[in-house]
Amino acid sequence: MSEIGRLAIVLGFVVALWGIGASVVGALRRDRDLVASGSHAAYAFSALVGIAVAALLTLLLTHDFNVEYVASYSSTTLPTWYTIAALWGGMKGSLLWWTFILAVCNAIVQAQNRAKNRDAMPWVTAVLLSVGAFFLSLLVFVTDPFERLSFTPAEGSDLNPLLQNYWMTIHPPSLYVGFVTTTVPFAFAIAALATGKLGDNWIRTTRRWTIFSWFFLTLGNLFGAAWAYVVLGWGGYWAWDPVENAAFMPWLTSTAFLHSVMIQEKKDMLKVWNMVLVILTFALTIFGTFLTRSGVISSVHSFTQSGMGPFFMGFLLFVLAVSIGLLAWRLPMLKSRNELESVFSREAAFLLNNLVLVGIAFTVFWGTVFPVISEWVRGVKITVGPPFFNRVNAPLALALVLLMGIGPVIAWRRASWQSLKRSFLWPTATGLAVGLASLLLAGGNFYAVVAFSLSAFALTTVWTEFWRGMRVRQAMLGEPAWTALSRLVGKNRRRYGGYVVHVGTAMVFIGIVASSVFKLEKQQGLEPGGTVDIGPYTLRYDGVRTESDPHVDKTLAQVFVTRDGKPVGTLEPEKRFYKRTKQPTTEVAIWSTLGSDLYVVLGSYDPPTKSAVLQVFLNPLMSWMWLGGVVMALGTAICMWPSWSERTATATAGVPAGTRTAS
Amino acid sequence: MTAPRSSTLPRRGFLAGTAASLVLLASASRAGGTTPTQAGLESSLTCQCGCGLTVHSCNHLNCGSSIPLKKEISEQIALGGTEEEILSNFQAKYGEKILSAPTTTGFNLAAWTMPFVGIGLGAAAIGWVLVRWRRGAASRVEPSVATEPRGGDPGSRDRIEAALRDWDARS
Repeated sequence: MSEIGRLAIVLGFVVALWGIGASVVGALRRDRDLVASGSHAAYAFSALVGIAVAALLTLLLTHDFNVEYVASYSSTTLPTWYTIAALWGGMKGSLLWWTFILAVCNAIVQAQNRAKNRDAMPWVTAVLLSVGAFFLSLLVFVTDPFERLSFTPAEGSDLNPLLQNYWMTIHPPSLYVGFVTTTVPFAFAIAALATGKLGDNWIRTTRRWTIFSWFFLTLGNLFGAAWAYVVLGWGGYWAWDPVENAAFMPWLTSTAFLHSVMIQEKKDMLKVWNMVLVILTFALTIFGTFLTRSGVISSVHSFTQSGMGPFFMGFLLFVLAVSIGLLAWRLPMLKSRNELESVFSREAAFLLNNLVLVGIAFTVFWGTVFPVISEWVRGVKITVGPPFFNRVNAPLALALVLLMGIGPVIAWRRASWQSLKRSFLWPTATGLAVGLASLLLAGGNFYAVVAFSLSAFALTTVWTEFWRGMRVRQAMLGEPAWTALSRLVGKNRRRYGGYVVHVGTAMVFIGIVASSVFKLEKQQGLEPGGTVDIGPYTLRYDGVRTESDPHVDKTLAQVFVTRDGKPVGTLEPEKRFYKRTKQPTTEVAIWSTLGSDLYVVLGSYDPPTKSAVLQVFLNPLMSWMWLGGVVMALGTAICMWPSWSERTATATAGVPAGTRTAS
Repeated sequence: MTAPRSSTLPRRGFLAGTAASLVLLASASRAGGTTPTQAGLESSLTCQCGCGLTVHSCNHLNCGSSIPLKKEISEQIALGGTEEEILSNFQAKYGEKILSAPTTTGFNLAAWTMPFVGIGLGAAAIGWVLVRWRRGAASRVEPSVATEPRGGDPGSRDRIEAALRDWDARS
């Protein structure tokens, strides 16, 4: 099976090279047969990478420990789900998985565009296959996932215990999908530059891909936060680790693009800037991959010990050189009729929104690389940790939430004083009221008061937009409220879906602020029967029980919880000991309500005395973060849901090329 | 063009009220003191076990770094001194990498200032662009068209239809 996998990646690499050559030469010579051959190569590439993934998965599931990757990242006692997840649990497998997602995207792009975008598609194919060929070249020449050992171990080393969590099965795939799908808008942008067709067709063609990519970057980041929250057991979810930052930066620039692209669509402005954002977003995903695998910057993430850094840095520099070169070449053609009637307009608000988003991305980038710069310049190792990122980003985040409230309701072109007053009177009043209430209830923490106030402002602007739109429909068409609301959203899914995303974002923001500022924590050694109080909760430690299976030994503390004297239930924070890796881990127990999370960690346990040390956290409004994520997902689904006219157009055969936006 | 007086006064009042409220909210903040606290100092130091977390956040069982550091922090607090002095002691003993954020002196100042310099330059660039674009718009003779729904009488079908059209057009 490993031979099949190895053959598949070698053939895949060769096919990719052929596809790149055929597409580029076909485009230059306007040779349809060569272009078609390039497109067929993309399908073949996808099939071959799929075969390689299937081969590695089969090797994992059949426990063929003669294969180095299988021996390093699985064992016979590893549960099946985690054996499957081991596919992306190690560096070689993750590179193959990455290539597979890209190959699938490439096949979908080919199918979507088989009858349209004829000028652009050879270049799109060439770009997508070039990225695929780069990743596959690493697997073929540098780090072979099908490498065999000179002996066959009786048992595998097992997957890192920290990765043996249900979030492991969904966080990396989500993030990878988010990362990889940024390649599609990038490929169309490069194709637009190469062909000189720099209108907004490439933007309309990739609109849904852009939202799709952003959606998975959002999910990937939130799932990663959830994973850290339940696995690492320190009561938090985001530590500004370089690899977390690497996932966050493309999300920021992608968010900026989603806003600025509207200005291009509506006003034919910001063409250069949008190109820059698409290129930057893709480059940041490669930069993130470089960070994860180079070891240049220390990170808790395990890939950093490899020597892959120079390859990724070289590829990143190549991508930037080609992109900037093409951009400079086409700069005269990208000039647009840039006009602004008023600074009190949505265009101006979106520009500021872009400034803040890219500013945060730059801050995160700067903080991430500053230790390396410091070492170069001064020869001194320093740490840039959470205090830096929190302090610098906090005011920027507040500005972003303010703009999130202003952007949706301020008019395009020019907002009159009357319209400003009408749009912002209630949101401002609500924001100030919530700010004052927070001041009284929350005790004067500046950031918390301003954050809650601005969040209320932003949420109220969204509410008034829905309310006013619904009322207009009711008044004009006599529709019942629910019908008016659903048709309002249905007629303009992108706009109202975006508003729903804003609601989710505000909820996440509120959750982050509340859980950061008002967190309570206690650590206490307890004998059986001993209690610890935190907030309205009382926790009674009743000793431990143990569980054991061939894979893991578990010690589960029995913690009986009451809230204001009323029983809540028994929580079981665990210590686990993984037998293969001989590693202990912590499994937290969480009692989650809309108001707060009671988060209990078994710090240590002393068998002779049966005493234990419990770490207890009360994290306010944590559920808002996860619910906010659900709302963001809902909003994105509304944005991406195809309209009736689109579905009809897609289903109609023989529609002239270029008249549909099917991506 | 001069705005009617009737719209200027509420505008000023509205802005003044907003500004006053923001000042009120801002005044509610409390400046951070330099009296050392165990949690504050733990959050200002980085655990050296490789977890990447602060001393406060590291909860590794029998951690060889965070547990002795927590003990040392409490001993330093007991000896007296400000937060800055205690952090300085740790820096002298373990090196600069023990601090969880760069200092605000020398080359490290660049860590703190560059983000704001970058954003400031970006803001200046946007300001310059906005001025140029405003000039471009001003040089055009066609009158600006209000794109806002004007609100008004809900009973007037024409105006509501116009508002509905505008509503869809605004997206």
